[in-house]
Amino acid sequence: MLVSIVSYGLAVGAVYALIGITYNVMFSASRVFSFTAGMLGMLGGVLGALFINTMGMNAVLAFVLVMAAGAVLGLVTEILTVRPVLKSIEQHLYVLSTLAFALMIQQVTAIEYNTEPQPFPVLLPIDPNSWLGIVDQKFWLPVLACVVTIVGLELLYRKTLIGRAFLAIAEDSYAARALGLPETRLRMASYAIAGVIGALAGFTGAQMLLAFIGNQAILNFYGFVPVALGGMGSNRGAVIGGLALGLFQQAANFLVGGIFASVAVFAVFIIVLLLRPEGLAGAAAARRV
Amino acid sequence: MPISRRQVLAGSAVSAAALASGFPAPAIAQNEPIKVGYLPALTGPSSSTGVGINRGTQLAVELINKEGGIKGRKIELISRDTQSDPTKAVNAVAELTQRAKVSMIFGPLNSGEALAATPLIARDKVPMLHPCWVDELIDVKKYPMAYRIAPTNTQVGAGANYYVVDVLKLKKAAVISDTTGYGTASVNTYVPMLKAKGAEVVYQNHIDAANPDLKPEMLRMQAAGAQAIMPWSVNAGFLSRICNTRGAMGWDVPIVGQTTLGSGQTKALLEKPEYWNKVYSNNFRQVCYANGKLPPRAQEFVDRLKAAKIEFGDTLLWWVALGWDGGMMMADVFKNAGTKNDDIVAYMNKIKAWPGIYGTVTWTPEQHNGFPDSEVVMCEVNSLKDGAFNLAPGYSA
Repeated sequence: MLVSIVSYGLAVGAVYALIGITYNVMFSASRVFSFTAGMLGMLGGVLGALFINTMGMNAVLAFVLVMAAGAVLGLVTEILTVRPVLKSIEQHLYVLSTLAFALMIQQVTAIEYNTEPQPFPVLLPIDPNSWLGIVDQKFWLPVLACVVTIVGLELLYRKTLIGRAFLAIAEDSYAARALGLPETRLRMASYAIAGVIGALAGFTGAQMLLAFIGNQAILNFYGFVPVALGGMGSNRGAVIGGLALGLFQQAANFLVGGIFASVAVFAVFIIVLLLRPEGLAGAAAARRV
Repeated sequence: MPISRRQVLAGSAVSAAALASGFPAPAIAQNEPIKVGYLPALTGPSSSTGVGINRGTQLAVELINKEGGIKGRKIELISRDTQSDPTKAVNAVAELTQRAKVSMIFGPLNSGEALAATPLIARDKVPMLHPCWVDELIDVKKYPMAYRIAPTNTQVGAGANYYVVDVLKLKKAAVISDTTGYGTASVNTYVPMLKAKGAEVVYQNHIDAANPDLKPEMLRMQAAGAQAIMPWSVNAGFLSRICNTRGAMGWDVPIVGQTTLGSGQTKALLEKPEYWNKVYSNNFRQVCYANGKLPPRAQEFVDRLKAAKIEFGDTLLWWVALGWDGGMMMADVFKNAGTKNDDIVAYMNKIKAWPGIYGTVTWTPEQHNGFPDSEVVMCEVNSLKDGAFNLAPGYSA
């Protein structure tokens, strides 16, 4: 039981964490909560299955193409649904614009691909009897993707000039623009990175979650929980929140089961937010009065 | 010459008698086609059933018209794709009943659309034939012109319960579903039926179909002593996970349930082909192989499909047969009762043991559910050949 809770819990938690990071990367660059994160995750699995199963591509080429598709969709999200809203006074319209775009992509996927869950291939030909096959790759692939992503983002933000520019935009976009930083291009780059991370979550998690348009709503929802738990904009918080959510969800599956597992997850979520509204790793926002 | 009152009355009587008995109707009415409304879901999420049924319906109507139609009148199938959307079905009903003035409606073919459309068809007093399983769709008081050419959900559940308790002789079952309306309603209906047969429901739950790991649920079922798992869901992902988890656990327990267990989508999601062993789904005796052979009527139908080059290997034989039966049943009704709605109802109320390919249909004025319990069976899902399955082990041929 413990092995199952840990393996499934960490794997699903890593997917949630990656979707949480996708939310955060977009939020940091634009102060917009783009509800396209689940759509990117769903497409990561669907496009992967399409390229490998239907079109017969090898896994490496399919992976590269899926990541490229994620980046392009990130850019399109920024141009079509975020940029026009940022210009308007009523900035909360982003809820509608990003959600509408995500639903549109989901409907197109349903029409052009399939409404039923489709199998996702085993990516790495590992002998299940070898020591590498002790833990199924469907469990460790999302965890590996999560580790690579968080380390990559830390290096980008801390060790590179462009990463610091991202942080400057996230901290104060007006001041950053006054300093001559190209805010629009940096925001576009952030959305492209978010697109890649979202697609990575879907691609690496699809052996477990299958290639299915219904994953969009689930990932949008469960991916948001670690953001709220960990604090908006905090990637480390999202990782801790995502893994904790996955483990708790799987433990609840074992202990209470059925639909009560979901109830247990959201009960804990609400309690945490009541006790710490700013999230576990977030700082309480100060407001000048 | 003065005309007497008596002569006028006599002349009127003769004229009336001549009108009533003799003048031929205009030729145009004799030759114009019989309009039939047809509401399949050919696109959208629930369209796989409609696409399969449509092949049989089109073939039947084509054949009837090719052979001269009904007393010289062709059948004109006015088809409206509901796109798996109840709103579209409702709009199509208004068009078919009020503008096209159809003599009868075949469909909607999916329960979701039928639930929305049936009251409207009943309001417009148009006879209706449909193959949907939801029990509430037939009610002789509310919908006196609606007839079902398929089993009800209750019959489908009873078929699975009969197989577990009376054929496999198992007494402890785990009954589960996803959290959809269909799934929860099925479990709530079938569990009391199962208990009434003397079985013990040792585990009962509604499970989130999106949950990627069903091992906790399966362990609980195993610990409770379940001898059979009965899942009620149309979600291929959910059903395949049940099969995969059972296989990974090495648990040799039969899975008995809904037709989707035997669908190609479920098969595609299996981790190993052998995980489909000992899985039995609902099916229908007239279109199942017994000892490697189809019943004569079904075999003749398969030969006809092959001769007409109708593809059915990618769908299910019972869907195509159902569509064929719908077309042939309407032709039979028009031939014997004409196209007036009261005459159609009077004739359909007396249909007894009508020999369809899909099933043997009997209706009475009090009962418009026409499918016999004895023809609802279970089949071996891993035996699919030419769109049909073997009867599950234990049934007599």
